[in-house]
Amino acid sequence: MAKQKITPRIVLLIAKKEYREVLHERTFILAILIQLFIASFSTFLVIGLTSFYDPTALKNMDNEGTRIAIVGNNESELYQMIQDSEITPFWYANFANAYTAFYDRKVDAILLIPDAPPEGTDLLNIDIYLPKSDLKATLVSLQLKEPLEKFEQSVRDIRTKRLSDYTPLDLTFRETLSRASSTYFEFVYVALLPLLVFTPAFISGGLVVDFITEEFERKTIDLLLVSPISMLDVVSGKVLLAATIAPVQAFAWMLLLMLNRIPINNVASILLLVLIISFILVLASSIISVMFRERGLAQLFYSLVLIFLFMVSYLFTNSPLNLVTRLSIQSIGTVESVLWIGIYSFIALLLYWLLVRVVGSRYNNI
Amino acid sequence: MSGWLTIAKWEFFRSKLKFDLRSLFFLSLFIVLLIAASYAAAQTGMNMNNDIYRVSVTDPNLKPILEIDQRFDVIIVDVYTASNLFKEDTDVVIISPNVYFANTRKSASASDAIKSTLKDYRELVLTSYNDINNTHPVWLTVHYLERPESFQVLSGERSARPGAEGRLPSSDLSPEDIEAAAKGGISGATTVQPVQTPPKTIEEFSQLNRRTLFEIQKIATPSHFSPPIPFTAILYSFLFIFPIYFVSQFYSSSIMDERTNKKCELVLVAPLRSVDIVIGKTLPYLITTMAILAVVTINIKGLPTNLDILKSILLILATMFPIVFLFFALSFFSAILSRSFKELTFAMVFLSVVVSGYLFFPAMFANVHAISTISPMTLIVQLIEGNSIKTAEYIFSTLPFYFVGLSVYGFGTYIFREEDLFTQKPIIEKMLDSIELYLLGPFGSIFLLSIIFIPFVYMAQLMLIVMLFNLPLPYSLLAMMLSSALVEELVKSIGIFTLFKRKMIPLTLKNAVKLAVISGAGFFVGEKLLFIITLAPIATSVFGSVMSMGALLFIPLVIHITGVMIVSLGMYARSVRWYLLLVVFASILHALYNLYILRGVMFG
Repeated sequence: MAKQKITPRIVLLIAKKEYREVLHERTFILAILIQLFIASFSTFLVIGLTSFYDPTALKNMDNEGTRIAIVGNNESELYQMIQDSEITPFWYANFANAYTAFYDRKVDAILLIPDAPPEGTDLLNIDIYLPKSDLKATLVSLQLKEPLEKFEQSVRDIRTKRLSDYTPLDLTFRETLSRASSTYFEFVYVALLPLLVFTPAFISGGLVVDFITEEFERKTIDLLLVSPISMLDVVSGKVLLAATIAPVQAFAWMLLLMLNRIPINNVASILLLVLIISFILVLASSIISVMFRERGLAQLFYSLVLIFLFMVSYLFTNSPLNLVTRLSIQSIGTVESVLWIGIYSFIALLLYWLLVRVVGSRYNNI
Repeated sequence: MSGWLTIAKWEFFRSKLKFDLRSLFFLSLFIVLLIAASYAAAQTGMNMNNDIYRVSVTDPNLKPILEIDQRFDVIIVDVYTASNLFKEDTDVVIISPNVYFANTRKSASASDAIKSTLKDYRELVLTSYNDINNTHPVWLTVHYLERPESFQVLSGERSARPGAEGRLPSSDLSPEDIEAAAKGGISGATTVQPVQTPPKTIEEFSQLNRRTLFEIQKIATPSHFSPPIPFTAILYSFLFIFPIYFVSQFYSSSIMDERTNKKCELVLVAPLRSVDIVIGKTLPYLITTMAILAVVTINIKGLPTNLDILKSILLILATMFPIVFLFFALSFFSAILSRSFKELTFAMVFLSVVVSGYLFFPAMFANVHAISTISPMTLIVQLIEGNSIKTAEYIFSTLPFYFVGLSVYGFGTYIFREEDLFTQKPIIEKMLDSIELYLLGPFGSIFLLSIIFIPFVYMAQLMLIVMLFNLPLPYSLLAMMLSSALVEELVKSIGIFTLFKRKMIPLTLKNAVKLAVISGAGFFVGEKLLFIITLAPIATSVFGSVMSMGALLFIPLVIHITGVMIVSLGMYARSVRWYLLLVVFASILHALYNLYILRGVMFG
């Protein structure tokens, strides 16, 4: 029986049926809700991260600046440097007074400045007292880092002259108007954007497990197979629907980001990549489902494969996540991107071939 | 006799059989692959940011220096090309010794990245000199001091700070004394930390920089000084939550399995109570999850070599249990309600996301705001960090989980019968079924139903606080008031709606009034009970007072009854079909009343 021929009309029919069911059960709305929730979670993280890693952003909110107590020489270079920074230092004659102020929340940190001169040979030890388990500790440390590093540099300028043949690498940065922290920029483009555009693809992979195992568990597959529909038609229809709804959602995410004034380049290429990757995931999970036929087991294997792929994508440049980043900020040449999209398409084709083999070996000889 | 035991054994061995030789082979194969990949990924430093910036340099010596950092894609050009390259898509051009970058966000952040890479390179070079006095002359010793938290920030009153008076140290104390006093006096911890001093040699120095993510830095040079990481709570929580996700997948699958093709029919006709079946089906999964969590905990805390560690391991598990319980209750209920696997997956994902949100959002404020104690995760973070937790805190954050979990299981067990398991009834009808069966049962009463719903309302409202936390203050309060009134009016009237809709009781004027009074009174009693048990810790915050409305007694009772009365009389006057509209109307009135009470906070 030539049952493994694929009939495009039937594949589309199956895809349409699944589409109607997904809409009918309002599951799709739930899926969108989930993603919205994740998005609100990420915006929360973005806000958190900007304020944590970019104290300059905080400066606008908090005009007073952070207040810290300083005990020790108030004419030292370090005191000057702290005064010039975003921090407002208050000098205290002894530690106990400083601690009282700290305890009463008048200041958020205490600094003990050493008396030893920078020209000496001893190590200079600065004691920092921070509030334990408090967000303020993070904030103060971030703001203190800059003046402290400046101080370290100035001491080093004196002391490194004593080293033999040490020449510091000196580069002058031409300052322009825009100043941006790389942490925020990289968070948005390296973590947020790739995760958002691929989440629909992850969900689609799980969806297809349900599509397929449900037919097995409800035994409806037997009914389908006695009709002139082949197993491959059924599976392909489900794959087609699950894979194509991912880029639609990804596009919605990118629109949302762009509305939030996060510019994204190469939108079309990114969508193409999302489509291909969602085909890869959906094909992998349908191979798993056809092999194991049991929902719990198939979902478990799919999650393991997903985490595995995630780990693997850390290993090389131009992994799907990295490729989305590079495309979105235009850091990749046309030739390179076409090459890699080609590689992923080839993997998708390979998986499709594997699916045909797996389905064929199971359903050809009934 | 112990029917549940039989079912549990049966469930356990059957689910083990699902893992036949082939699936076990693939499972171990995937796990080995996963471990290999994770190991390889860990070696690379877990970066996804390869080659995101393009840099052109004229000095060929700079290329290897910059390429230490995988973020840069460096090309070497001559000076003439470099000066023309500016227009091209290079982000930074370095014509030694000048660094040029364009006026774009990407370019600016590329230059920021270069600065930090050059700093790393400088440290690398200096470290190679093995002359610590001259290369790393400045050292920071970081100490952490306890001080009272400012939890009153939201309530606007800053005066009441407990313990601030009378315990200020006298002026002749040394820093060490105060540090010791602060440690012993406030936290009660008596751990003596080894005194850290700057290292003598470069070897010691490189030892210092090799610390794990969660280790708190005690001593560093300014360049290596990294601020304490916020949000560690989230990372921990994921370790604990993941096993629950997985096992509850299997659990809900197994319940769903009983429903498809009416597999459960044989068990249902057996002389077993449905409670036994539910317990029997749940227990194996519950035990498995707790066992996995025990392994995770021991991994984090180390083997229980002494009593303290054993105690904190047991406390962590005791805190995890209600979370697992609630997860399972929700998966059980959604497995009974959903009509297909897809629906189940989405319902599960949706509920997991919401519950995780409830766990994670407040935990982010761990040590920052009292709100964070809502989440049991905060307690787990405390326990992992080696602190102790109070019984009141445990009750405050876990009691809602126990209550909601229990009642969800209760309602689910009511509809664990043929009519609901094997039919494609709409979800709402099934929910009404469970309420109807409860009301017909031995303890069924509208009064108790209102009390049972209190923990749901409580959790829903806390979730709302967390969700609306991001909005600016007056709006978040408005949204909070409307939505919490909606939740309250809904649960107060759902029982009455069921009675009238299912014609369990004639729809007369007398009944409508009587039921409204009973339901409103029940809700009032439940609310006050809850307030006594748990709400004290956050009652000082504005958000807390929206929920509890202070200690006023008579007026809230009237308001609660009035709300239900509107719905119940409305149904009498019109028909039960007006139910939802009536609930919305009653909620608006309720919210307006809340607004009136809180006018002081809202408008200064």
